[in-house]
Amino acid sequence: MQNAKDTFYLMLQQRLAALNPQRVIVLRGQLRPGVLVGENEAPTAHTPVNCFRLTWTTLSIDRTSAMPLAAMQCEIRYATDGSRPMAAMDRGRLLSAMDSELAAALARSPQSTPKLNCSATDSGSAPTPMATSIFWSQPVFAPLTATGERLERTATVDMFAFQEAGEA
Amino acid sequence: MTPSTAPLHSRIRAYFAPVDRATSTPTLFDPAQLGGFSLDTPPAPWLDLGCIARFVRVSSTKYQPLLAGAPAIAVAQARTEVDASVSFEFDAWGKLQSALASGSQQMNLLATGPGAAPNGSGGSAAAPVSIVESGNTASALNVGPDAAAQFAPGTLIAVDTDYTGQTGYIGAGVSAAYVRSAAAIGTDIDYVRRVTLNVAVVASVNEGVLQLASPLPAGTPAAGMRISRLVGFCDREGASFFQEWSALFILEGAQGDRVLFHYPRLQPMQSSAERAEPLISSAGTAPLERVRLAAAFRALPVRDPNDSETVVCFRSYLPAPLRTI
Repeated sequence: MQNAKDTFYLMLQQRLAALNPQRVIVLRGQLRPGVLVGENEAPTAHTPVNCFRLTWTTLSIDRTSAMPLAAMQCEIRYATDGSRPMAAMDRGRLLSAMDSELAAALARSPQSTPKLNCSATDSGSAPTPMATSIFWSQPVFAPLTATGERLERTATVDMFAFQEAGEA
Repeated sequence: MTPSTAPLHSRIRAYFAPVDRATSTPTLFDPAQLGGFSLDTPPAPWLDLGCIARFVRVSSTKYQPLLAGAPAIAVAQARTEVDASVSFEFDAWGKLQSALASGSQQMNLLATGPGAAPNGSGGSAAAPVSIVESGNTASALNVGPDAAAQFAPGTLIAVDTDYTGQTGYIGAGVSAAYVRSAAAIGTDIDYVRRVTLNVAVVASVNEGVLQLASPLPAGTPAAGMRISRLVGFCDREGASFFQEWSALFILEGAQGDRVLFHYPRLQPMQSSAERAEPLISSAGTAPLERVRLAAAFRALPVRDPNDSETVVCFRSYLPAPLRTI
């Protein structure tokens, strides 16, 4: 399952960066594309804005197929406080831009990508393609929430992946 | 090797190609040669009609047991009737989609001339515009600076020959209608343009040349073809013509596998129909309806020269790479 989660994150990061290279965040002192996976980062009370934060929630496994088919739900949260030059009066526009970027990235054809084996990336090796592909549904966008000046939305996506032989 | 799994897909793409009605020659698709083509760039002459919904294939082929003995027991089987149909809904209301779903010949609503009497499928058309016989392509039509003033970006046009008493199948590129007798048409020189599928949208007008948003289906216009402006399309319950097309439906699997359904000859088996589905808002209500074009076709036979079998449909499966079979 971890390979599927990592592959989905890499796919989304690449597609979003291609759509808007200016969407970046500084994380642990490094400038990175504006996508992160919460469970891969140090716990913090700080909520980064103007980026996409991925959280994996539900998991189910269908074992009736020739290979187990895992279905995982990914919550993608994003928020903005608006920009300082515009005195936050552009926060609606900035959130709409993030809505559009996320929808476009996930709807772009194909809605599948070869699964990558990312187990050796800790030692500096590049991910290697596996035999199957992950695929995903269209995102479902939840109603916008406003907390003070901050606008936030959560989109959920169902991601599917076959569990290959010997895969963790 | 990875175990084979059932195809998983989210949408089906439809491609159609003309049948030469005069010779009853369909466009055959060879999945062994072309099955892996890029879905956004189909090989000529296949036309991309986009995604379809509610794709349903129905086999009505009848199987009859051959009985023997007492009590009778089935000892063999025979096929006594071969029949197949396919139905689906188009996502878009383009010219080809609406023509295919019309069940018969579809009329272009030609822009009318002054004083035209009212008519259900469009009154007498405005005078057609001639094409200057130089510098034309399937995507650029030279009409000269004076005539170009009649066109603007967004103008819909039909390009075809004048009607001069032809009988039989008419229409550039694709047989769009069948004329039984010249008397039925009368003196309407615009009749071929009224039914042709050779239509386009003007994208820009520059120095007397109409640049089209997409190429004309019939390619570079032949000598003598003229242009009529049109405002839309019209089909009629009760019209008599049967269109016939070759069709290809592709189910693209998420694992890189592909299922192809090829019907060399399809004729409509229902008149124009639509299906309305509620458009669910983010609040869960349905204030609007989306109206999709519904189409149903009967499959007609071809002979497979590999073994001389008479068949109506080919289903091909291209496995994903490195799968067990």
